[in-house]
Amino acid sequence: MIEFEKVVVRFGRATVLNGVSFSLPADKISYIIGASGSGKSTILRVMMGFIRPKSGKVIIDGEDVTAYPERRYAKIRRKMGMVFQGSALFDSMNVMDNVAFYPMYREKKKPREYIPQVLEILEQVGLKGTEKLYPSELSGGMRRRVALARALIYKPKVLLYDEPTTGLDPITSELVNGIIDEMNRKFNVTSVVVSHDISSVLSIANHIIFLDKGQSIELGGHDSVLECDHPAVLEFTRSIRVMAKKVTTAFEEVS
Amino acid sequence: MGQAIFHFVDRFLAFFGGIFMLLGKVISYIIRGRANFHLTISQMSILGISSIPIVCLVLAFVGASITYIIAEEMAARGFKTFVGGLVLLILLREMIPVLTGVVIAGKIGASITSEIGAMKITEQLDALKALSTDPDWFLTIPRVLGMVLMAPVVAAFAGYAGFFAGYLMSYEQIQLQYITYIAEIPTFVDFGDYWACLVKTLVFGATVGLVSCYHGFTVERGAAGVGKAVTNSVTNSIVLIFGLDLLLMPVLF
Repeated sequence: MIEFEKVVVRFGRATVLNGVSFSLPADKISYIIGASGSGKSTILRVMMGFIRPKSGKVIIDGEDVTAYPERRYAKIRRKMGMVFQGSALFDSMNVMDNVAFYPMYREKKKPREYIPQVLEILEQVGLKGTEKLYPSELSGGMRRRVALARALIYKPKVLLYDEPTTGLDPITSELVNGIIDEMNRKFNVTSVVVSHDISSVLSIANHIIFLDKGQSIELGGHDSVLECDHPAVLEFTRSIRVMAKKVTTAFEEVS
Repeated sequence: MGQAIFHFVDRFLAFFGGIFMLLGKVISYIIRGRANFHLTISQMSILGISSIPIVCLVLAFVGASITYIIAEEMAARGFKTFVGGLVLLILLREMIPVLTGVVIAGKIGASITSEIGAMKITEQLDALKALSTDPDWFLTIPRVLGMVLMAPVVAAFAGYAGFFAGYLMSYEQIQLQYITYIAEIPTFVDFGDYWACLVKTLVFGATVGLVSCYHGFTVERGAAGVGKAVTNSVTNSIVLIFGLDLLLMPVLF
């Protein structure tokens, strides 16, 4: 579904992605993990065409989009939705207008056509009754779910999530993970999640890419992340191993 | 030194290149009939109506000040009937368009730059692109069109405020009646002056709209960058207004 072939991205003199290659399967939940500053969010921006690579190839749904001009890329973006790290909701619009943005401005639907659609999708993400609230009146978790609803309303083939659970409490994180999983199963959406939340990776990831110093390591399923002996991966998963050990010891002591 | 000159020339070219590219996009969208009517009307109401009182106030002060300077001088030389005509001439040729432009640059231009700049640093511009929407279509076109269409309306109100304040000042200073104040207007002012005032106001409205949007889109480095962009937006708009005013003089008069 999405392929990167030796993609290089530079910001000035800094090389952020240095020959990244991977292939993300269709209809699965793929996680791109790695330490902060390893270039995870840059990968999503390259997929969306906000950043163009210096070299390499980006292939989306069978099309080599690397050199597409902006207008042609806009058509590719219709296949994709993105949930931004800070939600990126439009401050001047309420929840209804934020979620209805695509049908209202792109599909030019009338209110009687898009309002039921918005209400239905808000109910799906657990935000029934919030239509009139403004982004400043919502909690972090609610904002993320509104952003998800805004992306889901036009039924994209691919959904990109930038750190969807960062800064959320464990219950809301679980809820967001549940929504990602449900959307993937319900609508056969190809989901690409950028995260360093290892517990989310272990619970819902089907395919994992590890990013280290601008280079990618394709790991496979969620067990692979704990089985991999690459030093960077071991370092990244150290905290979860320590935690697992502590939990096991605690259980043993109790029993 | 050489690097400083290179840096200045680079920024100068980037600024004018960016402004002309935005202008090209605005014209292209309008010609293709793709400007959004509702967004434009909404911006006209937000941008125009809110700035009428402040521009009227500024022009009233200026109209009264001009009259303060010329009323006694003209009366002393026996030309007090010329005061109204002269005040209107000065207002139409220079004060109305220039001061309307300057005030809307400070009030509306600054708010456009900060709004778009804040949208940029909070990824809302990327969110627009992710929703297959050109940020220029959604943000620039309605704002520039709104400014172009509303600037003459604001100027009309402000112009009359300045002219009437001039009358009040002349009545206070030389007891000039309103009928006498307006009697010699045709001697000084013709249709060309009204036309020139309209053209200048349209040009300055478009200038403020384009410059403020450009600076909003080019915000860098977070909240501090927004503040810097707002300052640049207002100062560059004002410099351009005075520069264009000078360039338009031989064309219009």
